[in-house]
Amino acid sequence: MTGNSTGTEILGVGIIGAGPVTQAIHMPTLSRLGDLFAVRHIMDADPSVAESVAARAGARHSSSVEELLADPEVDVVAICSPHRFHAEQVIAACRAGRKAVLCEKPFAMNAAEAAGILVAAKDTGVPVVVGAMHAFDPAWLAAESHWGTLPETAHTIRSTIVLPPNSRFEDAATEVLARPGLTAPDYSDPAAVRSALHGGIMGLAIHDLPLVRRFVPHFEDLEILQARHVRPFGYLVSLRAAGRSIELRAAMGNTWKPAWTFEAFSDDAALRVDFSPSYVQAGSAAATLSTANERRSFGPYGHNGYEGEWRELARLAGGGAPRRGTESLIDDLAFALAIAEPSAEAATAELMGADA
Amino acid sequence: MSSYTVNDTAGATAVRATVASLPLSFRAADPGETAHVHAVAGTPGWTAAALRAVDDGARGIVVVAPCVEDTSALAEAAEAAGTAVVLDLRWESNPGLAGAEEAVRSTAGRAVMLDSLAVSAAGSDPGTVLTEHLAAVVRVTGSLDALRILHLGPHGYTAAARLANAAPATLQGVLSNAVPAGVELHLHSDDGGVSVTVPEPSAAWPAEVRATASQGELLLPTLYETAHRNSWRRLKDHLDAGTLPADLAGFARLTEQLTGPS
Repeated sequence: MTGNSTGTEILGVGIIGAGPVTQAIHMPTLSRLGDLFAVRHIMDADPSVAESVAARAGARHSSSVEELLADPEVDVVAICSPHRFHAEQVIAACRAGRKAVLCEKPFAMNAAEAAGILVAAKDTGVPVVVGAMHAFDPAWLAAESHWGTLPETAHTIRSTIVLPPNSRFEDAATEVLARPGLTAPDYSDPAAVRSALHGGIMGLAIHDLPLVRRFVPHFEDLEILQARHVRPFGYLVSLRAAGRSIELRAAMGNTWKPAWTFEAFSDDAALRVDFSPSYVQAGSAAATLSTANERRSFGPYGHNGYEGEWRELARLAGGGAPRRGTESLIDDLAFALAIAEPSAEAATAELMGADA
Repeated sequence: MSSYTVNDTAGATAVRATVASLPLSFRAADPGETAHVHAVAGTPGWTAAALRAVDDGARGIVVVAPCVEDTSALAEAAEAAGTAVVLDLRWESNPGLAGAEEAVRSTAGRAVMLDSLAVSAAGSDPGTVLTEHLAAVVRVTGSLDALRILHLGPHGYTAAARLANAAPATLQGVLSNAVPAGVELHLHSDDGGVSVTVPEPSAAWPAEVRATASQGELLLPTLYETAHRNSWRRLKDHLDAGTLPADLAGFARLTEQLTGPS
């Protein structure tokens, strides 16, 4: 840890996983936050990728999680590895006694993994932030401070995501090294549809499910009304929980025109948030709170939720109180899993029914 | 003929204002004068009221915001009498939907998802809103397959269907006073799609139809005419040409989708 121009400490960052998310999101974001962070260590299973990405920040590199966690210059750990490694790496980072951990969403893939994280976080007191960037978007946060009773009164929530392939925006954010290859699934195979729906919820809808949950006080009665696969990649899911109607839409194709909206409606108030697309540093969302006679707008502000989540990490590493406890993050995960599993089943059944 | 006389049994401001906006085509019938055209409110019993108008010798009938009723007897009587029956539907009658229909038709084969949202005032009857919503959607998409209502309650509804190419479609209704009432329709394709926003018929704000493709986005010309006036102009065209509109048959197909065969 070193000092910055304002006398506060600059936090050393270690990043586990140096794929496109690290390259296109976190490295550019951290370069904008030089007064708070300095990248000290990059780990990747591919040594050449680790070396190249580390060189961009003058950091050390390795191919070992243990080596990164043992690096004394690493104060905070960002986990950007494939989903299946998240839980064990979060736990290891907590046990290594770092100041704070940022984990890309989802931070676990099942309830048992989430429970393990809860125990590790409680035992060590290390704060964990899940990289659901929209929850840290300044326009979302500004709306949150003004939306009054909307979370209690909302009866309809909608999340809509229309995006081109990630590479379109990755290439606008950085020069990507070693992009993973993609193969077109055979969607006549029910297993491929099942996987696409599950992956769609846990990899794409997961961005906004923490936002949805702000308007859904409980979800024990969650019921999937429909779940359908959208080609080539996407989903259309309708569900009910706690008396609310929740609609999730996503379509990823080759369109140049992205749209990423979150909406909540009550009888007398509504929230609409238009988010900027992933990867690019395109400023914050624009949020609007409406009633019959008034509209209040928030944003766009100059930074987005990626920067917001790192700023939150710095605050927590400095001893700030968490805005949300680990239990709440685990509830977010349970909510996502409660949607993903039955949606995958329903979409598969729908496909097989349509074929019958 | 200089103009068609109108008997306004609907008694709606919209009818008076609309007829007044077409002064060369229509005028209010004088007391005791047999009107060429009858305006009928689409409240329960509207088919009986329209049948009486047919019996009274009406050459044309405009039904304002019809609710779901069995239209078979009316259709039969109107055809036999040569009476043109135009249904003035809340969103479906917006003049912008003609362009939307064409834009959607050119995209429909490549569609991957249809997502449509209707907003109406809190306290509205959700079944009525769904009927109005579905009318607007099928106007531009053609009939939907496997339509089923997943949820319908005091705050809105969700209905699922399939497009002709089997892509998933959903119609959602939200009852809220917080945003202007209207319909949005988004037909997504791999390279873009078509987005349509349809406003309320109470004023002449235009529908917006945007077609998005790889080379950019096209906003179709905006038409500052209310759905009501478009309906009356359409009736005028039929009366002048001596043709009969297919509104009742279309409405019957629509309501059959929602209620099952009668």
